[in-house]
Amino acid sequence: MPKRSRPIRQTLIAVILLTSGAVMLTTSAAFFAYDFVTYRQQTLRNLATLGEAIAANSTAALAFQNPDDAREVLSAFKAERHVVAAALYTRTGELFASYPAAGATETSALTLRDGYRFEQGYLIGVQPVVQGGHRMGVLYLKSDPGAIYERFRSFGLIAVLVLALSCGVAYLISTRLQRQISQPILALAETASAISANRDYTVRASRPEGYEFGLLTDAFNHMLTRIEGAQSRLQNQLGRLDLLQRITRAIGERQDLASIFQVVLHSLEDELPIDFGCMCLYDADAEALSIATIGARSRERAAVLEMREQSRVPIDQNGLARCVGGQLVYEPDVNGIEFPFPQRFVRAGLRSLVLAPLLVENRVFGVLVVARVAPEAFSSAECEFLQHLSEHVALAAHQAQLYGALQQAYDDLHQSQQAVMQQERLRALGQMASGIAHDINNAISPIALYTESLLEREPGLSDRARNYLVTIQRAIEDVAETVARMREFYRQREPELTLARVGLNRMIEHVIELTRARWSDVPLQKGIVIGLQTDLAPDLPEIMGSEVEIRDALTNLVFNAVDAMPEGGTLTLRTRSVLSQPYPGDEPLAFAHVEVSDTGLGMDDETRRRCLEPFYTTKGERGTGLGLAMVYGMIQRHSAELEIESVVGRGTTVRVLFATAQAPSMDIQPTAARQQPLRRLRLLLVDDDPLLIKSMRDVLEGDGHVTVVADGGQNGIDVFLAARRSETPFSLVITDLGMPYVDGRKVAAAVKAAAPDTPVILLTGWGRRLLADNDIPPYVDRVLSKPPKLIELRAALAELTASTAQSVIEEAS
Amino acid sequence: MAILSARACPSRLWLAVAVFAATASWATAAPSEYQVKAVFLFNFTQFVDWPPEAFPGPDTPFVIGVLGTDPFGSQLDEVVHGETVNRRPLVIERYRSVTEIHNCNILFIGSTEVGHLEEILAALKGRSILTVSDSDSAGQRGVMIRLVTESNRIRLRIDVGAAKAGNLTISSKLLRPAEIVGGGED
Repeated sequence: MPKRSRPIRQTLIAVILLTSGAVMLTTSAAFFAYDFVTYRQQTLRNLATLGEAIAANSTAALAFQNPDDAREVLSAFKAERHVVAAALYTRTGELFASYPAAGATETSALTLRDGYRFEQGYLIGVQPVVQGGHRMGVLYLKSDPGAIYERFRSFGLIAVLVLALSCGVAYLISTRLQRQISQPILALAETASAISANRDYTVRASRPEGYEFGLLTDAFNHMLTRIEGAQSRLQNQLGRLDLLQRITRAIGERQDLASIFQVVLHSLEDELPIDFGCMCLYDADAEALSIATIGARSRERAAVLEMREQSRVPIDQNGLARCVGGQLVYEPDVNGIEFPFPQRFVRAGLRSLVLAPLLVENRVFGVLVVARVAPEAFSSAECEFLQHLSEHVALAAHQAQLYGALQQAYDDLHQSQQAVMQQERLRALGQMASGIAHDINNAISPIALYTESLLEREPGLSDRARNYLVTIQRAIEDVAETVARMREFYRQREPELTLARVGLNRMIEHVIELTRARWSDVPLQKGIVIGLQTDLAPDLPEIMGSEVEIRDALTNLVFNAVDAMPEGGTLTLRTRSVLSQPYPGDEPLAFAHVEVSDTGLGMDDETRRRCLEPFYTTKGERGTGLGLAMVYGMIQRHSAELEIESVVGRGTTVRVLFATAQAPSMDIQPTAARQQPLRRLRLLLVDDDPLLIKSMRDVLEGDGHVTVVADGGQNGIDVFLAARRSETPFSLVITDLGMPYVDGRKVAAAVKAAAPDTPVILLTGWGRRLLADNDIPPYVDRVLSKPPKLIELRAALAELTASTAQSVIEEAS
Repeated sequence: MAILSARACPSRLWLAVAVFAATASWATAAPSEYQVKAVFLFNFTQFVDWPPEAFPGPDTPFVIGVLGTDPFGSQLDEVVHGETVNRRPLVIERYRSVTEIHNCNILFIGSTEVGHLEEILAALKGRSILTVSDSDSAGQRGVMIRLVTESNRIRLRIDVGAAKAGNLTISSKLLRPAEIVGGGED
């Protein structure tokens, strides 16, 4: 029992006891007072009556002086015990008779006033004795009112007993009665204290019977209900605020839209909770929503709703129109709404629907769609929550978009920077390569010329020597090829493709040979073995294409394959002929497939997706990131197709599908210049390289030509102009391109200025590039690349001097 | 108490002292026999009722008569002086003979007349006259009240029959201290 309960119980008992005691006391006191007064008066009256009677009876005794009779009369007081003394006095005041007989009278009757009164605790009566109007004497009476006091003592005793008894009874009754009052109050108080201690507002006080306690308890319970309601609303609000804060924080940590949407939907599904939720992006131009993200637990319902990610929902006259107008739309029950969008929800068993717009700078860019199975399931507080949430999400999404755009811009910038740097590096590399190539070409030119010359003009050579020379010749050609490919780095683009028939099988053999160092020699140095398999279709049709480009592409693919097998493996090159019928009824098309397969690392999705991007590389500084990009460029220019199959850890297969050539095969035979009769020509050779110029001179003079050499551009011009003025002008000028101070172009210009008919052959270490780029300088009739081939040189001479050679020879002869 | 009240009211004290002095002188003088009997005669007026015809007029006085030799002297006059009976003046008349009696209410028959008492009583027969005598004569009958002296005290002997015959009503109070004789048969 709580301490607090004591006062009310005690107070109630005390109140009842005090009240009843006070009532009892007052009643008793009033009764006493009344009784006292009335009883005194009664006693007085009684004594007076007695006195009157005795006096009346005493008249004769007094009148006729018979004291005996008087005494007899007075003796009647025996019956009245309270009369302690009585006396008769004569008219003159003499004592006539007294009672009791021996009793002395205290005082003379003459000093007494008539009447009855209380004196000194006694009731004194002085009754005149009158007969016929004559006063005979006086009757004196003295009564002891002790009886009265005795009576009042017993009354008092009774009153005390009654008081005690009534108090006892009142106590017993009050202890029972107070329970009726205090018990419900205490129960209420106990409930209240339990509630305040536990903060559990779901407790209800039981309703007692009687009085107003029912009302009080009802009021109390009603108050509890209100408090509980307020409490739970507060809790809900706090919960939602907490949820909002957590969601906001979670989405604040994310920078991509999909992840933000996913987090929001996941949180809503788990914690609001909702039965369905999805995020849509608004496409204002198409007047449609595209579903960006569907909550993980909403996918089953989404299937019923016919909503998939990336699917589109047209905006009609349903709530969506209002929502994309920027309003939060709450449909408490979609059941009665006829539009197709709400009807979808009805089919999925969802009744209440909230559409919250994602607004950024007064522009709706998306809609948050949430729904519940029960109708009217969203409170206004929840709608407000969703509104707030959608504002936060919109902001976060907007920031994510901004961040994405920023990131994209940064990436682009970075890529551009990388590309520029790469270009710059390549350009520098290309320039250096060009310089090297030029020097190498110059250096090997004498070797090439002499080797060819020896093989051609020395029939007496032994077989062994001839073999050696052939090998030297092939090596020189390889060097020239290698140098030529090196130069390709510098080449920015292929402006025009010159298509020719290409035999892929033959090309693959070339590629194998060209790349042997990479797939065989280099790995072997590290103890790595890469096996080579070739699977070439024998009846592979030829295709139309650029041999150089295709060879470069295949070389790149082989390089990639080798790089993908750092631990060794098998490199497979395969060709196949495939007939394909892209459209039924069309004539089947023949395709030539070329496959380069490795058993290496393979590519993951990211790499697979980006591998064709320029400058994308997985090889770090070793890679340029241009290999597959070049391959892709070749594929596009050849209208071919590229297929990449790759499994991480298993390897990669790159397949190129070429359409086969429709045109009949046409052999391009080099002009058999050798068959043509040699004409002796007067030639000017301009070059700053003494070795080259000597070898040229030797070879050309071996053919019977007359040569004059100049070891520089200016010198060449001077010699030419001098010869022009002399009897013996040159029928043709062969000049190097790159020379100090005056280069080949100036020489050619000077020659053409002096003698427009004189053909000029430009011999250059950059020759192939000039040819391919159609960058033939003016005043130059032919460009030949170094190392010059005797056959090409002879053909060019023959061609260019076909009209003029005759005259030269005539003149010479 | 008396002293206290006397102190409180001096005038009363003086009155009380005067009365006391009077009584004291009276008491010391030890009242004579006829002084007492005179008072008794007066006192009878208080205890006896006379019929109305005893008083023919409204102003008819109440008469106490003494027949024969008056033993009272002036004492009877002194006793009744200033007294009234039922607002009637009290008058003392003295008769030498019974014939003189006309209008009388109480008649004291002196001892001198006792010799011819029967004569007197016969003359008064039918009249409402309370007859009183103090004669000791044994043969006296017909007197309504006799005053008898016994052991130095005066006692009353009342003949109720005679009084009844005289159409007088004697108060029962009077009968208490008295000795009743006759009974009214004769």
